[in-house]
Amino acid sequence: MTAAVQNSMAADRLDPVQVKRDFPLLRDAPLARGLHYLDNAATTHKPQAVIDAISDCYAQAYGPIHRGLYPLAEAATARYEQSRQTLAEFIGAESPDRLVFTRSATEAINMVAGGWALPRLQPGDRIWVSRMEHHANYLPWQRICQQRGAELGIIELDEDGRLDIAGTPELFGSRTRLIAVCHVSNVLGMENPIQPLCAEARANAIPVLVDAAQSVAHLTLDVAALGCDFLTFSAHKMYGPTGIGLLYAREQYLAEMQPLLLGGGMVDEVGEGNAPSRWSDGPARFEAGSPNLPGAAGFAAAVGYLDGLDRERVHRHVEALTRVAAMSLGALPGLRLLSPPESSAILSFTMEGVHPHDLAQIAGERGVAIRAGHHCAQPLLRHLGIVATARASFGVYNDQDDVNALVAALDAAGRVFPLEPS
Amino acid sequence: MIVDHSLYKDTLLRHYRQPHNKCDSELKDADIVRRGANPRCGDEIEVGLYLDGEVLREVKFRGRGCSVCIASSSMMTEAVSGQRADDARHLCEDMQHWFQQGDGEGLAAPPADLQALAAVRAYPARRRCVLLSWEALADALDAV
Repeated sequence: MTAAVQNSMAADRLDPVQVKRDFPLLRDAPLARGLHYLDNAATTHKPQAVIDAISDCYAQAYGPIHRGLYPLAEAATARYEQSRQTLAEFIGAESPDRLVFTRSATEAINMVAGGWALPRLQPGDRIWVSRMEHHANYLPWQRICQQRGAELGIIELDEDGRLDIAGTPELFGSRTRLIAVCHVSNVLGMENPIQPLCAEARANAIPVLVDAAQSVAHLTLDVAALGCDFLTFSAHKMYGPTGIGLLYAREQYLAEMQPLLLGGGMVDEVGEGNAPSRWSDGPARFEAGSPNLPGAAGFAAAVGYLDGLDRERVHRHVEALTRVAAMSLGALPGLRLLSPPESSAILSFTMEGVHPHDLAQIAGERGVAIRAGHHCAQPLLRHLGIVATARASFGVYNDQDDVNALVAALDAAGRVFPLEPS
Repeated sequence: MIVDHSLYKDTLLRHYRQPHNKCDSELKDADIVRRGANPRCGDEIEVGLYLDGEVLREVKFRGRGCSVCIASSSMMTEAVSGQRADDARHLCEDMQHWFQQGDGEGLAAPPADLQALAAVRAYPARRRCVLLSWEALADALDAV
């Protein structure tokens, strides 16, 4: 148990100062001196527990997965499958067999698009995405629709910036083959109504893919409660390692999905010459090549870390900090908050007279790490009529001090670029 | 961690706030117009050449961008207006090298009136912002 967990057990609130001590980079690295890291939607830092799990894997139990008959290989395989079990419990999956380890959430979405949707897509069919999707949950669908003469429908946003499901009557129509939406927008930070969307889709036998990349770190995910058919996220945005992600699929869909990557470990019987080969069942079919054991171990350790902090407390902490930041930012002259009031963990904004790049640069010079640009969401920014935003995103180790530094940095930017030059 | 070598020096800010040779309308009467765009941040700059034989009688620009992009465009038009096309081409190449090579050692320092852009060299992520208008200028010069 980490120091942060022990010390915060008694209190009902997360203590970000204690939490920060669990993160070696934030605690000790020269580049992190005076750093206010508010780019958690891009990627998060790693607690010692995750680093230890990866390193321990190499030092104690490293070997081939599903390929060896000696004790070390068995130990490595057990650790890999234990990680899958941990992840299954983390998202409330009915069985670890529904979980595929991927390289990223991006790869997982591409797998569903190419391996499940493409083979059954006909001209005139529709796949729906929302206006606020990250390019990773837009381009794979766009391409297969183009390939098949199908249509990529876009669920637009209403005046308040929320998904206009009522205004999209064809969403649950007979030509819809799949709906792909994000749980939380990576630009605006609001949570989409996944549960009712999935319920209505299921009533119409339409599968729903949920991109949970931006919710996994601070919302509790439960695939049964959400009612989704596919769910994806990556480890690196939830304090886990880079290079590993997850695809959850309901049994029927996983069974129907074709592997995109062929090779070792995913085939039961290889055909002679042009004779067909028989793929393995379950997740192995989608994990060709040597599996990423240290990645999986680090992924599971990140789950353990979040569980240790208590996910409900993590959620409350991040939400409260976002509220406070939104209020402070909203009071700055010329600042326009694009995120709706209920946004959590992510705030996008622009400042009159200051290009977002200049905003992020000035903040950076003051040790405040925020993101500027289109955030890989060009369709959304086109809709908003802007080319770039600045974005601050919060994590477990952020506190009021970080919010104050952000506000001071934006205030400084306002003085470098005054609306009325003196 | 307050960095004291701020990018935002007076000269750069002055060119951003009151850019020289910047047009609000289309560069219709220019002899050659070329556009540079950085879709990553939505910046777009159009550069127009007004020629007098081989000489760039005037160079103007229009578009949108961050402070670095606008200031660099403004300084660019100042630096090359009145120059021969060949000299402008050399300056374009020097600028490219100056910003793309590590410490720029062994390169001739750029003219004094472009020195205000030097601070940007410490910020590799902003190179595109500086060079956008210079790339559009180089394109336009190819058509001279």
